Amino acid sequence: MLSYKKSKFIKRKTGIMVLKIDHLTGGYAGVPVVKDINLEIKPGEALGLIGLNGAGKSTTIKHILGLLRPQKGKISVNGIELSSNPSAFKKQVSYIPEMPVLYPELTLQEHLELTILSYNLNKKKAKKRAKELLQQFRLDDKLDWLPIHFSKGMKQKVMIVTAFLADTQLLVIDEPFTGLDPLAVANLIALIKQAVDNGKMILMSTHILADAEQAISNYAVLNNGTIEVVGSLQQLREHYGLKAADSFDKIYRILNQEQQHA
Amino acid sequence: MRKLAKKRLKKNFQQSLKYLVLVFNDFFVLALIFLFGALMFWYAQSMKVMPENLWFYRPIVGALLSLPIFVGKLVTLIQPADLQFLLPEDENMLIYLAPMLKYSLLVPVICLLFLAGILFPFATIKALVPSLTYVIAVLAVLAAKILQLKVMEYNLFFTRKVSLITVNLLFLAIFTFALIWPQTIYIIAILLIIILLFLLLKPQNVTLFDWRYAVKQEQNRKSQIYNVFSMFTDVKEKVPKIKRRKYLDFLLPKSLAKENPNGFLYRRSLLRNPENLNLLVRMTAFAVLISWLVQNWLWALGLSCLVVFLTVYQLLPMASEFDDNIMYRIYPIESAKRGQDLVMVLALALIMQWLIISLFWLLILPINLQLFEASGLLLIFSLLVGRLYLPIKIKQRKI
Repeated sequence: MLSYKKSKFIKRKTGIMVLKIDHLTGGYAGVPVVKDINLEIKPGEALGLIGLNGAGKSTTIKHILGLLRPQKGKISVNGIELSSNPSAFKKQVSYIPEMPVLYPELTLQEHLELTILSYNLNKKKAKKRAKELLQQFRLDDKLDWLPIHFSKGMKQKVMIVTAFLADTQLLVIDEPFTGLDPLAVANLIALIKQAVDNGKMILMSTHILADAEQAISNYAVLNNGTIEVVGSLQQLREHYGLKAADSFDKIYRILNQEQQHA
Repeated sequence: MRKLAKKRLKKNFQQSLKYLVLVFNDFFVLALIFLFGALMFWYAQSMKVMPENLWFYRPIVGALLSLPIFVGKLVTLIQPADLQFLLPEDENMLIYLAPMLKYSLLVPVICLLFLAGILFPFATIKALVPSLTYVIAVLAVLAAKILQLKVMEYNLFFTRKVSLITVNLLFLAIFTFALIWPQTIYIIAILLIIILLFLLLKPQNVTLFDWRYAVKQEQNRKSQIYNVFSMFTDVKEKVPKIKRRKYLDFLLPKSLAKENPNGFLYRRSLLRNPENLNLLVRMTAFAVLISWLVQNWLWALGLSCLVVFLTVYQLLPMASEFDDNIMYRIYPIESAKRGQDLVMVLALALIMQWLIISLFWLLILPINLQLFEASGLLLIFSLLVGRLYLPIKIKQRKI
């Protein structure tokens, strides 16, 4: 829970911010993958999205990003609906994909400049912030490089730097730890914690709970396209009837059994 | 492995055929027939007046005859996924490569026969090469090509790589000088055949297959083929190789203040994506070339206007270049305005094109008042295309 002082600070800074997914049903070519999803993330809250492959995590994320059109339901941030005002909605969202996607024509420096232009950031402040992030991820000497010269891990770091540079209210992160070195994982976790402290909203899909739980306290479990439960890891353990000695991974076995019997 | 190789070769042949049909379309074939006819007419006329048996005729015949050696590389059709799925097949790679080597000979042999046929009258009548010697020389070139392909095959294994440039230069030198004394070609042919037989019959010591090198070589080979096809048609398999081209950075705005995201992206794509820049450079060079050929300001102006129009027309698809990039769709970039932003970038590119063409006109055409008028008219035409035609076209295409 946020302290009174902190929540007041966040409210003053961000207004009444909330990501609201309201009765979302959607998927590909008319086939519903996610069914009647309701989810809410408040300022200063980080929510982990967990589930087996094909449970609907990526589909949910694609709907939030406006890459898929919902068959039913609404998605809004701070009361701005994605369907009615996509441009204003997108200004409040940044994204770190599982597979890094960069512009082959742009250098690292130009990726940062494009982010500044697109999100209409204060250039002076953004450049200062970019410098800090680049140093943190050891990219500060690679500003003139094209993506073709980056390793997969480096590309992922560029995605992280640009997403945190955008300084949006909502940050959507899809499986961020794959391909990152332990130092970068630690830096990313620190950044997520810092963003949460600053009242940002984080939605993160991941399988690597050992890393995620350092920054995320609440989780939503997706299975068969529906959200089964939302709560802390302890609450999830209780929901699925795990004993103290059971590994958390047992939840995935239970989800698999549920899928087979669905 | 042989089955896999044959399956891949069949698929590759079908794909090549698909593109060859598009490349050799009716107009291109007609143009080729005319060009070939003109060349043959010039050849026949030249043969009548050419003196006989000059000292450099035989080296020319030898050098020209050896050209098919440079045509075509070893087709391996090795894919990046083979690094994963065929990794334990090192010892079977020679079996896989055997049908590939035969297939790789197809284009060079066609080129060799074609060239040998054309050169035959000159070689036998003017250079006085005996017919049998000429036939032996053709066979020796074929043997040299097979040997070169075997070298390429050898390089695919973890061995000390043989420099292909050295091999090619060596063959060029041998064939250039071999026909000076026709008997030497017999010795060279025999030597080449002995080396080939030795290589083919000798049991191969299987070493580690250099998978990464093989994948890279095949990608380079395919990229070259697709580059040729893409001059005539769209090649979906072609992956453009983006180059930094720092020396062109002076054409980019120094400050972000007047930039917008779409313009920012299109400017860099125009300068760094070879598909776009090559087109712009090629068309500009073409305008300069035809202006030089016609040597008349009026014709130069008319043809250059046509080139300017065609340049813009071909660059219009740039508008949808970033549509498949997920980050372009997620970033708050006004994609509805991308058409207008592209117009701004292309209009500037046209001014650059006008400037270059006009500068070359000053160098290659007679300088007079009319030339300056032509330059002014070309500028007006470029402005009209950039500011008037392009916005209309963008609206029509709903970009």
